[in-house]
Amino acid sequence: MKKNLLQAYKQAPWRTQLQWIGIFLLVLVGIAVVAGVYLMISGRAAATGRRIQNLEAEILALEMEINDLRTRYAEASSAKSLSERAEALNMTLLDPLEAMYIEVPGYIPPSQPALAPPPAVEDISTPVLLPEFTASLWDWLRLKVFVEPSPTEGPAESAVPEELAPVPTEVAP
Amino acid sequence: MKTTNWNRFFVICVVASVVAAAAGIQLIRIQNIEGAKQILEDSEAYQGINRMIYPERGSIYDSEGRLLAGNEVVYEVGLDLRAIQQPETVAAAASSVLGLDYATVLGYSQMTPGNGNPYFVVLDGFASKDKIDQLEVIKDDYASRSVKRGEVRPNLEGLVWTANNKRSYPEGTLASNILGFYSFRDRTDGIGYFGIEEAYDDLMAGEPKLIYSAIDPNLLTSVEEVPPGVTVQLTFNREIQAMTERKLDEALKWSGADNGTIVVYDPETGEIVAMATAPRLDPNEYWNYSEIFPNPKPYNSAISSTYEPGSVFKVITMAAALDAGVVTADTTFNDTGSITVGGATIYNWNMGGWGEVDMTGCMQHSLNVCLAWLGTELGPDRFYSYLKSFGFDRNTGIDLGGENHWPLKLPGDGLWYEVDLATNSFGQGISVTPIQMVTAIGAVANEGKMMAPHVVKAMVIDGKQYNVDPVVVGTPISAETARTLTQMLVDSLENEASSALVEGYSLAGKTGTGEIATPLGYTNSATNTSFVGWGPAEDPKFLVYIWLEKPEISIWGSEVAAPVFSDLVEDLVVLMNIPPDNVRLSLRYDGRNIAGLE
Repeated sequence: MKKNLLQAYKQAPWRTQLQWIGIFLLVLVGIAVVAGVYLMISGRAAATGRRIQNLEAEILALEMEINDLRTRYAEASSAKSLSERAEALNMTLLDPLEAMYIEVPGYIPPSQPALAPPPAVEDISTPVLLPEFTASLWDWLRLKVFVEPSPTEGPAESAVPEELAPVPTEVAP
Repeated sequence: MKTTNWNRFFVICVVASVVAAAAGIQLIRIQNIEGAKQILEDSEAYQGINRMIYPERGSIYDSEGRLLAGNEVVYEVGLDLRAIQQPETVAAAASSVLGLDYATVLGYSQMTPGNGNPYFVVLDGFASKDKIDQLEVIKDDYASRSVKRGEVRPNLEGLVWTANNKRSYPEGTLASNILGFYSFRDRTDGIGYFGIEEAYDDLMAGEPKLIYSAIDPNLLTSVEEVPPGVTVQLTFNREIQAMTERKLDEALKWSGADNGTIVVYDPETGEIVAMATAPRLDPNEYWNYSEIFPNPKPYNSAISSTYEPGSVFKVITMAAALDAGVVTADTTFNDTGSITVGGATIYNWNMGGWGEVDMTGCMQHSLNVCLAWLGTELGPDRFYSYLKSFGFDRNTGIDLGGENHWPLKLPGDGLWYEVDLATNSFGQGISVTPIQMVTAIGAVANEGKMMAPHVVKAMVIDGKQYNVDPVVVGTPISAETARTLTQMLVDSLENEASSALVEGYSLAGKTGTGEIATPLGYTNSATNTSFVGWGPAEDPKFLVYIWLEKPEISIWGSEVAAPVFSDLVEDLVVLMNIPPDNVRLSLRYDGRNIAGLE
């Protein structure tokens, strides 16, 4: 009798085995999903990283090219070449006694050119890499899931944590 | 499910678990074997590389922001011997474009790397961009060629090039005595020589940094920036410098002088407006240095060469005598044509006596006897004290590499004799550099205030410009003395109808003819001719110092250096935008601005 009762409440063995197989497959699928997500994110991060590397190399090349062009421009407009061009156009230096001086009310002589702003002007530069590229997966999830409000709650910038917030670029007076 | 199936499933799970556990154990074991550490260390080399980054050398600009020294791109072309596939193709391209010997390049290309052979051979360290463009065209042409089955596509694998910065001086020889040069052919250990390149070498070179860059993009971090070296803006204007050099070259040709120096100086600020010397080196080809400057010719004679200036030094003696109250402008002196000091007899330049003359007359006729008398009236203590105040016992401290000075002989030194007091008073027996003279006489032109001479106007550090403020280094004479002496020198030039005068402008000035010491004594067959002048006299904006060494056309400063001064100032006032006195004074007294040249 006791055996019969147990048999009545016990699941069929094939059902138990199917449940086990199901759980196993579920765990397997879960691992595969996590691995897939991780692979996708790390793949994208790697591609982005490579792009950044290329961009940095491009910046360096462009800086060198700018310097090169600046030097070539200086060569093309050197005192010697300008003097030769002026002579070719039959231009001569003014005789001081032939100069005519006129009064221009309100005229302010041009000040000498400055190469850079004076040290009193402080500017805060934006970091080269945005937080999106430096945040860990966990930081990113925390930002997206727990911190970032829904569009109805206000602008997203207000909720960005301090350590991930973009640095302001305004120039202080 | 039957028990048999369950058992099979159980067995499979157990076997899979055992295999997985075995694999895990093996993984852990492999990580802890003896060679694992070495493998791990070796692998780090593939994760990233450490590179020494040399910052871009700071540029040099003139006062108007025109580039005088910058950086241009050149390429290092070389052979990566491990990557070469077609030595003949590589050799043909490299030799035709770079102008190298085909057989030599082929020899390199066919070398087997390792076993004593290099892995990389540099073919050209400074190939221009044009040449690289040509190589790119050849490379692209090969890549786009269609080949038939069995044919091999030509390629330049193994021929590589990398961009580098190279120091460049777009103005060539212009102001090369001020700029100096940088030995850019030594890519990692280049040094600045002479001038600005030497004086500011450390600042302009910047700080090289060892930077780690990850190859694994997952380990990528923000690349640390290497700030460029300090950029320098100079006080001189390129056009004025070019004009001054042109005038100097013309003067050397006309006078037949061995060498020459012209310094244009702003006495109010101490800024060097122009500094021309001869000869000049093109710093783009600095390896010609020893050819152009055979030992012991100085690179910049304005700051490095000492010479006995002669009568231009009388300005200093007269300033000292007026300031000490020994004489006034109206004091008269009876010139008999000679004076004996310390047992030696001093004569005038014409060996004659000029009778009763005032102090302006002494300067106008450049009377050695009168000035020697002033020296004795001052006495050695006061005279040399004034010379020290004017800075003749030290370097001026100008911010250029290579400054020099001759030690001042003083009473008490073994080398000083009583007669030196007399000869020093008119600029003989004392050696000075042009920049010392400019700085000292600048005090006379600037109300008695002596300004520190400098060529750097501003520096740009980390994107911020720091201006160099004028510095007063001393007040050797009073403002009243300075004004009195300036007026005396204006009068003496006008009374003499000097060839230094420029129509429309009031100028103060003094000629100088210095005899040259030889092993057999002084000779007046070859002289150092000089002229110092400044203007406009009541508000000086420039001071010009000219030194022409051993001119052939004449031995006298009044006949050689003075006309050069006049010729130069005629152009200088145009370039500095200084109207003639009548225009300038009328505008000023009316309280109006000067509009400028039309």
